[in-house]
Amino acid sequence: MAKEEHRIVKGQVMVPYEVALGKTWSMFYDFLKEEKIMGKKCPQCSRVLVPPRSFCPRCFEDMDEWVEVSQEGIVETWVYVNMPFFAQELKIPFISAQIRLDGSDTGFIHQVAGIDLTEFEKVREIVKLGGRVKAVWSREKKGNILDIAYFEPVK
Amino acid sequence: MQRVAITHVAQSSGMESKESLMDFTYRVNKEILDKAGLKRREVGCIVAGSADIFHSGLSCANAFDWDGIGAFLKEGSRAEESAFSFIYGCMRILSGRYETVLVTALVKGSENPDNDPITSFYGDPFYLRPVGVNESVVAAMQMRQYLERYGVTEEQCAKVAVKNLGNALFNPYADRKRRVSLEDVMASERVYDPLKALECAPKSDGVVAVLLASEERAKTLSKKPVWLSGYGCSMDHFHPGDRDLLKGQLPAAAQRAYKMAGIDDPGKQIDVAEVCEPYAFQELLWCEHLGFCGEGQGGRWIDSGMPLMDGALPVNPSGGVLATNPYPARGLYRIAEAALQIKEEAGEHQVGKKVRTALAHSTHGFGGQCHSVVILSA
Amino acid sequence: MGNAVAIIGTGQTKHGRRSDVCYPDLVREAVTAALEDAGITLKDIDGIVLGTMPSMMEGVSSTHFYFAEAMGSVGKPVLKVETCGSTGQSIGHCGFFWVASGMADIVLVVGSEKMSEGDGQATMTTVFDPFFQRTFAAGAPGVFTMQSMEWMYRFKIPEEKGREAAARISVSNHDNAMDNPHAHIRTRVTMEDVKNARIITYPVRLLDVCPASDGACAVIFATGEKARKICRKPAWIKGLGFRGEEFFYGESDKAIWMSATEAAAEAYRQAGIRNPLKELDVAEIYNPFTYQEMIFYECFGFCPRGEAPDYVLKGTFLKDGELPCCPSGGTLCSNPIGATGLIRLAEAALQVTGKAGARQVEGAKLALSHAMGGVDQFNGVTIVGSEL
Ligand SMILES: [Zn+2]
Repeated sequence: MAKEEHRIVKGQVMVPYEVALGKTWSMFYDFLKEEKIMGKKCPQCSRVLVPPRSFCPRCFEDMDEWVEVSQEGIVETWVYVNMPFFAQELKIPFISAQIRLDGSDTGFIHQVAGIDLTEFEKVREIVKLGGRVKAVWSREKKGNILDIAYFEPVK
Repeated sequence: MQRVAITHVAQSSGMESKESLMDFTYRVNKEILDKAGLKRREVGCIVAGSADIFHSGLSCANAFDWDGIGAFLKEGSRAEESAFSFIYGCMRILSGRYETVLVTALVKGSENPDNDPITSFYGDPFYLRPVGVNESVVAAMQMRQYLERYGVTEEQCAKVAVKNLGNALFNPYADRKRRVSLEDVMASERVYDPLKALECAPKSDGVVAVLLASEERAKTLSKKPVWLSGYGCSMDHFHPGDRDLLKGQLPAAAQRAYKMAGIDDPGKQIDVAEVCEPYAFQELLWCEHLGFCGEGQGGRWIDSGMPLMDGALPVNPSGGVLATNPYPARGLYRIAEAALQIKEEAGEHQVGKKVRTALAHSTHGFGGQCHSVVILSA
Repeated sequence: MGNAVAIIGTGQTKHGRRSDVCYPDLVREAVTAALEDAGITLKDIDGIVLGTMPSMMEGVSSTHFYFAEAMGSVGKPVLKVETCGSTGQSIGHCGFFWVASGMADIVLVVGSEKMSEGDGQATMTTVFDPFFQRTFAAGAPGVFTMQSMEWMYRFKIPEEKGREAAARISVSNHDNAMDNPHAHIRTRVTMEDVKNARIITYPVRLLDVCPASDGACAVIFATGEKARKICRKPAWIKGLGFRGEEFFYGESDKAIWMSATEAAAEAYRQAGIRNPLKELDVAEIYNPFTYQEMIFYECFGFCPRGEAPDYVLKGTFLKDGELPCCPSGGTLCSNPIGATGLIRLAEAALQVTGKAGARQVEGAKLALSHAMGGVDQFNGVTIVGSEL
C-alpha cells in the first residue's frame, strides 16, 4: 500500500450576520454624512470619546452630550501595511493610523492616504509620529467608516 | 466553609433589541448595579457568559463584551456557556478572595444565523458536519427513540410547548409570546420529523445579570439572598453514536448537585425547576433524569399536571427556552428565574406554592452532551 | 490568603506543524503527558477546564464537546473559559479558583490550538468590531507595530537602539529554544539575520515575529493537602491577576499599558513581591513580538519606563542575566495561541520545581508567567514558587 500520511481535508465556512449599530453609532454615521465628526462627552470624567459611546466604559454612566471634534489631529502611531491576508477590506499597501483628533480624548483608528504609498522609504519622510493629518471626505456617503475617505498629512 | 448567594437579578426585555450589543449589555448591568446600590468600581470581579464568532460575528467575544459588562481594569474572565460563568463566579467567592462577583450573560440572536447552522459547527469537519448533523437533527433522533422505547406519545411531548408558551404569557421578559393549543403544536411544520416547529426553541436576544456575594456581604446587600446549595456538571461522549441518547449524563450531574445539597428525594424536596428544553420532548426526558418521575414516565408525568404552574412541581414557570432562547445566556436565565422564584420576585409567573428550594438546569451540545445542575435555597 | 493551591504536573506536545495528528489527538498528547508527570490517572481528576482561541481559528466551535474523550472529561464536570490570547492564563486562573473554592481537589486544565488548520490573521481581524475598526485592521502584526512605534516615540527611544535591542531578544529567544525539545522553531539566528529579515510591517521583520504553531498544554492543579501527598515537589501558586482595557483600540494608552501593569501589580501584591527584578528568578512572558517584550519588561516593573532597550543590551534578561526571561524560547519560538499562556505557566512551574531540563535556570524559586490577549486589550499574570 502506498504510504499516504498527513491527509488534509479542505473546507471553507461562510456565515452571514446582521449586526445592529444602535442609536448612538447610527447617529455618528448620520453626522458623517454632514461631514461632521462627533464624539460623546462623559459627564463624570469629562473625556470625549470618538467613536462615541452611549456610556463611559470607565465611569459606567450614560453619556448624552454630543460634542463635535476637529477634523484634524495628531498621528499617535501608524503602521504601513503591505501584507495581504484573507478578507482584507483595503488594498495594500495602506497605512493604518491612530489619530488623536483635536478636542477628543481617545485615539481614532483610520487610514492615512492621499500620498504616493508605493515606497515605504518615501512614505516615512511624509508620515510621522506626532505629525498632523486632516480628514478628506468621500463624495458619496454610504453610512460607513469610509465616508471619511482617509486622513491626509497636513503640509 | 464559605457560602455564596445571589443577591440581585436583572434581565433585558425578551423583545428583539435595536440597540448595539454593547449598549444592550450595558443597560442590564447598569440596572443590576443600581438595584444593589453598588458602583462599578466596588464590584470585586466580573465574569461574562457569551459565545464567540458564530454567535456574534466577533472572535474573542470577551473583547467586545468587556465595556458593557463594566469590566474595565477589573479582575475578570469569561466562560463560553453561562451556567459555566455562574459557577465560575461562585468559585471566585467560595475561594474567599472576593466579596462580590457580577456574572452577565449576553447574546443577540436576532443578529445571528439560525441555531441550526451555528450548532452544526459543534460537529467535527470529517464525520458529523458533512452529513448535516446539528443540534436539531440529533434531538429529532433522540425524540424518535424516546417515543418508541417508552411509548410516550407525540401529543404528550407537544403538551410541553403548550404549557411553556402558556407560562411565557405571564413573563414580561419572554420572547415568544403566543397562546398555542395542542392542535397548533401538532399541526406546526414537521421541521425535523418527529420534531415540530413549535417544539423547537427560537433564537432570542437576551442579557441577564446576577450579582453574587459572600455570606457576610450578601446579608448587607439583600434582605432575601438566595444561596447556592448544590452544583453538578457532567460531560458525555462527543459522537452521538457512542452513547445511548436516552441515558446521557444528566443523572450524573444531578446526583452531584443533590449530594452537595443533601437532597435524596428530588421530586419532593424541590419546589420549582427551570429546565433547559430547547426541544419540547427534552423537558420530559430531563425531568426523568432529574428524578422527578420514573424512567419512561415523562409522558404520564405531564398528563398528571404536576409540572404545571399550579402543580406540585412546576417546571419552567418562566416559559423556559421554548419561549426565550438567547443560546449562550439561557443557562443563566434558568438560574436567574429560579432565584426570582425563591425571592418571590417573579411577578405574574410566581408559582402558587411557597418556594424554598429551586433547581436550575442548563444543557448544550448534541442531544445534551453537557449538563449543569444548580440547586438554590432560601 | 485563602486556600493553598499547587501545580502537581504539566504536559506539553511537541509544538509545530502537526499535520501528523488530528486536533483531539493533539490535545490527548498533552493530557497524557501531564497525568504521567503528576503520576496520577484520569480517575483522580475531579474537573476539567478547557480553553482555546475562538472557533474561527480551526472552524470547530465549542471544542469542549469535540475534545470530550481527548481531555478525559466523559462523566466529569467541565468548564470552558476563553479570553482570546490570554486564554492560557485565564484557564490557569480558573483551575486555581476551582480548587481554591473547595469544590474540587484536583483539576486538569487544558489549552490548545491547531493554527495550521485555519487563518490566524483573518481570525484576529474579526476581533475588531465591524463598525469602525475592522476596515483598517492588519492582523496582529499591524496592531503590535502601532503599539511599538508609539512606545518608542513616547520614550524617545532612537530607532536604531530599538532595532538593536529587539534583534537581541530574537537571538536570545532562538538560542533558548535550542534547549527546549517542545519548541516549534529550533534554529539559531544571528543579529544580522534578524536585521535583514523580510519586513512584515515596518520596523517589524520576520524574525521579530512568532510562528503560527499547533500545540497543546495541560497543567494539573491540586489542593495543598493533595499536592503534598501526591507530589514530591509542587509549584505553589503565589499570586494571580487579570485585567482588561476598553474594547476600541486607541482608547487606552498602549505605551503605558494599564492592563499589563495592573495585572502584574495585583499578582505582586498577593505574592508579596516589591522588587520584581531582584525577587523573581525567572519570567516566562508572552512575547509574540520582540518589541512588545520590552514593553512588558517595563509594565512588570523589571526596569523603568523607556529603559527596556538599555537593560536588554546589557544582558539583564539573558539566561545568565539578572532576571532570565523566556528560557524556553518563549512565544517567539512556539505560539499555539490557546495553549501559549498555559505553556508559560507550565514552564514557570518546571523552573521552580527544577524540572526544566536543559533550559533550567539554576536555583529558580520564584517565577512569573504571563499572557496577553485581544487587540492589546487583556493581560493575565500568575506567579509560582517552590515554597508556599
Ligand atoms: Zn467617564
